[in-house]
Amino acid sequence: MSTINFAAREINCKIVYYGPGMSGKTTNLKQVFAKVPEQLRGDMVSLATEDERTLFFDFMPLDLGTVQGFKTRFHLYTVPGQVFYNASRKLILRGVDGIVFVADSAPNRLRANAESMRNLRENLAEHGIDVKEVPLVLQINKRDIEGALPIEMIRAVIDPKKELLWQEAVADKGRGVFETLKLVSRLVLERLSKGE
Amino acid sequence: MIEPSLALYGDAFDQVEKHLGDLLESTGVRYCLLVDRKGFVLSHKEALWAPRPPALDSVATLVASNAAATAALANMLGERTFSEQIHQGEQGTLYVESVGDMALITLIFDSSVPLGRVKVHTKKTTLLLADILKDIKDVPAIEFDDDFGANAASLLDDLLG
Repeated sequence: MSTINFAAREINCKIVYYGPGMSGKTTNLKQVFAKVPEQLRGDMVSLATEDERTLFFDFMPLDLGTVQGFKTRFHLYTVPGQVFYNASRKLILRGVDGIVFVADSAPNRLRANAESMRNLRENLAEHGIDVKEVPLVLQINKRDIEGALPIEMIRAVIDPKKELLWQEAVADKGRGVFETLKLVSRLVLERLSKGE
Repeated sequence: MIEPSLALYGDAFDQVEKHLGDLLESTGVRYCLLVDRKGFVLSHKEALWAPRPPALDSVATLVASNAAATAALANMLGERTFSEQIHQGEQGTLYVESVGDMALITLIFDSSVPLGRVKVHTKKTTLLLADILKDIKDVPAIEFDDDFGANAASLLDDLLG
């Protein structure tokens, strides 16, 4: 649930970008950072290894503006995608209000997508939460890659019941990045307005 | 909800502000923040003489993440938690102490300030803050009117196109 600071009249929502390693989570954040006006976003913090792989997380605050007297902010996080950083992923999911699952369209990454989604379910379950309770949007990234997997195939392994909102993207060129963020933000705010 | 949220307001907020102000004065630190475990700033105070603080959002996020990682390490070693963290540099020090299970108090100060003094005063303040936070665990239901969704959607359009 979002943190509401009545004294400062602020609502803070935490959105986490999840997905397999190298699927484009950090790229999404970098694109948002580059394109949102400076006065509406804070610094981007990246805890990465020397070869620019996320070690703990990336973080960036984003101001939406004032809604009914409450300054509303999104805190955007990424998790490290590499399998052996699961302890870090679990920590980042604490207090999450919305999730973007960034799937990789590369032909050899179907299994990695499926495993990452299973890992998300398991990590949420360890916090006592069902994946269906959290606003979750699927971003199918790298659509410009040669031999990209068909969208239906990716959806079939990640969301077989076709319950999730989804968005195609080429994050490194900025395509689909804002659209995805808008989808998940809308879901988070809808949930907030219902007092959930 | 994965982690309890804290809604600090009214009398509780005023009390927290006062205790942080007192702590700032008694220790001589530059900045003093109360952050929740999710990494959001609940309240902060800074000395009048202090230069402009670093981005507080980033400080809070890193402090909370660091505390979460430290707690995970504590669990691995059979401890419930490590209640305090000290990071000392050449110029300054960052001191973090748990305020119950809900929040963290963070002090940033120059090397001229004795760590012992900071620890003694912070531990006293921590007890006072923990009592206040214990009583406000239940977040009151916030009621937005019907326009909330429309207003928020309009702002999202402005921000993200």
